[in-house]
Amino acid sequence: MSKKILVVDDEEVIRKFLRIQLAKLGYEVKEAADGEQALEKLGKDDFDLLICDIMMPKKDGWEVIKEVKSNPKTRGIPVIVLTAKQEDPDMFKGYDLGASYYMTKPFTKDQLLYGLKLMFGGA
Amino acid sequence: MKGQDRKKVILLLRWTAIIVTSYLIFFSKGRVTDLHLIHLLIFGYIFSNLLLTFLPKTWFSNPKLFYSLVIFDTGLVSFGMYLSEMVTTDFYILFFLVIIFASLSRNFKLLMAIGGVTALLYGILLYSWGLLTSENGISYILRIPFIFIMTVFYGYIVQTFTRETQKQLAISEDKYQGLFENANDGIIILRNPQLQIVDVNREVERLTSYKKEELLQKGFSDLFGSEEDGKALGYFEEVMKQGEGRTDSLSLMRKGGVPLEVDLSAKRIDLGDESFFQLIFRDLTEQRRLEKKIRESKMNLQAIFDGIQDRLSIQTPDYKILRINKAVIQHHHTNYEELIGKKCYEAYYQKSLPCERCPVSVTIKTKKPASSILKISEGDTSLRTFSYPILDDKGDLRSVIEYVQDITEEQRLQKQLIQSEKLAGVGILASGVAHEINNPLAGIIGMAEIALEEETFKNKAYLKDIISCGQRIGEIVKGLGSYSRIAKKEEQSLVDMNEVLEDSLKMVRLAIKASAVEVVERFQPVEKIEANIGEIQHVFTHLITNAFQAMNSKGTLILSTRSLKDSAEVKVSDNGMGIPQKYISHIFDPFFTTRNPGEGTGLGLNIVYRIVTKYEGTIDVESEENMGTTFTIQFPKRREES
Repeated sequence: MSKKILVVDDEEVIRKFLRIQLAKLGYEVKEAADGEQALEKLGKDDFDLLICDIMMPKKDGWEVIKEVKSNPKTRGIPVIVLTAKQEDPDMFKGYDLGASYYMTKPFTKDQLLYGLKLMFGGA
Repeated sequence: MKGQDRKKVILLLRWTAIIVTSYLIFFSKGRVTDLHLIHLLIFGYIFSNLLLTFLPKTWFSNPKLFYSLVIFDTGLVSFGMYLSEMVTTDFYILFFLVIIFASLSRNFKLLMAIGGVTALLYGILLYSWGLLTSENGISYILRIPFIFIMTVFYGYIVQTFTRETQKQLAISEDKYQGLFENANDGIIILRNPQLQIVDVNREVERLTSYKKEELLQKGFSDLFGSEEDGKALGYFEEVMKQGEGRTDSLSLMRKGGVPLEVDLSAKRIDLGDESFFQLIFRDLTEQRRLEKKIRESKMNLQAIFDGIQDRLSIQTPDYKILRINKAVIQHHHTNYEELIGKKCYEAYYQKSLPCERCPVSVTIKTKKPASSILKISEGDTSLRTFSYPILDDKGDLRSVIEYVQDITEEQRLQKQLIQSEKLAGVGILASGVAHEINNPLAGIIGMAEIALEEETFKNKAYLKDIISCGQRIGEIVKGLGSYSRIAKKEEQSLVDMNEVLEDSLKMVRLAIKASAVEVVERFQPVEKIEANIGEIQHVFTHLITNAFQAMNSKGTLILSTRSLKDSAEVKVSDNGMGIPQKYISHIFDPFFTTRNPGEGTGLGLNIVYRIVTKYEGTIDVESEENMGTTFTIQFPKRREES
């Protein structure tokens, strides 16, 4: 059974990139365009990985991660932070909140693969 | 009467006596009894006087010679009279010559004795010739007391004269003794040629601390220390040769062995038949002290002059170099003599006319300070040159001080500063729009990658270009964004270097696949530094990332911390490819990169440098190609707020 990944980003083009690449790698991909949508989908479904943007309308990525990590049901889901913010304090904030990996935009497929490898080990 | 005069008078009197004697013998009415004896007498007389002519004048001051002469002459004259018997009339006049001669001695007793003997001899002569009983006998007899009376008369004059002279002599001796004793200079009288001290004045006693009695026991060489002996004798030989001489290189030895530097002059003085050396000396201690002071202050001035690292020279109003400091000599790789006296533009720049816009020219014209920045093509250097006038009492320009500062480096840094200030401005702007740029950029790169993977797409090289250009934009945005953070005032806290180093390492390990790198941590407890944690993290992550890259993901990274006296030290050390020596001095410059365009922005280490210096820290790099690189950072310890 393929792993299920939730991609959260308000940018359609980024969601599209991740959708195509992850699908190619054999993952099942769900998408959300903002924080609220993301939490909603997280409540409905079980995910193996959350790739989450930070600066989003309605509810930002920090809040999403906070809620994910505080909910016993979703706490175990690893989180890759995906952001256009690339300053170190942001990075530390991400790790502090429980994120497992941190990718700054723009990123390449290689970086994505590396992140996935860290999360799942192997492919 | 001086020796010279006395000799002349004696010789003259004797020549007169010889002529008169000869005349009276040969041409008077008397009868010569023995012609041979007469000739012998006159020849002896002439010969004796010729002999005297060649005697040194000092001998004539000797009373012994004088008395012998008087007795000899009296004898000769008497003998002459005896030989020319029948000389009846005028021969007695000769006695007066002898008496006058005797009076020269200024000795009353001698004169009386001579007078008595003369009168007696004359009486005997008259008696032997039988003149006393002749018809003119009375007049001949009267001549005897006449001779004696004349002698007494001469004697009286001589005595009075002698007394008067002695009185005056005593007065002047007193006077001279006073002058001698109270002279401000030390005066020593030495006897020639034994060089024994015969007199010293009070100043000598004062300066040498010896008593007069002690000094009178000493000789010339006792006055000097044993090590000066040779020099002193050399000097005195010169004095003996020249009659006088002066030196200031000798030291007198005082009682107790303390040398006294003196200005010494010596002169030979002949007094009567004695000869002396007079040594006059002056204490040079004070003068030497002043000279030393002047020399020292001169040296101090030169030291100040040379201590100034910028080029300083003093020039005449026609550009001739009067004085320069060390910096000038060093800069022009020459020596003092090469530059002094030459015109500055010739000596410094091999020009035939003053440099354009030279402030010295302005000062020469206006007598006012001037300055300008000169660009010298040689080495592309910029010189900030100041010139200041030195005016004399009348307000005329005496010389010009030229002060040259090499501001090439300063200008380069200033340019850099302006550039990085610009960068900071751009950075603030960039970080504001980073999010807006990065999102579409992520789309561009991502989509290009997807297209690349599509097999239908023919020209994949174009896509690769798109991706790499996109990445370049991303790097630049990221780099510029970092500047904004340094520019911003951010909250500071106490930062534990070891903790941050550990975190940074973790972060870099997550970002870089570098499993083959062995990391050695040598952490010692270090004091916390007040700083913005994000900035410190940036520094460490950057250095660690660089190290990983330099090692090509294979090697040993050593992270170490230690506490120094005034600072906390962090070392990041790798055994990677190292930095070529020629680049070392530039690695902290903004936009300096050895990588290909697109691979690095050249901002990373500049940001690191700016962060470290913002906290008054220092960053040093040691690197050897193919051996590795070590960055050493020292943050000053926080001042204890008690």
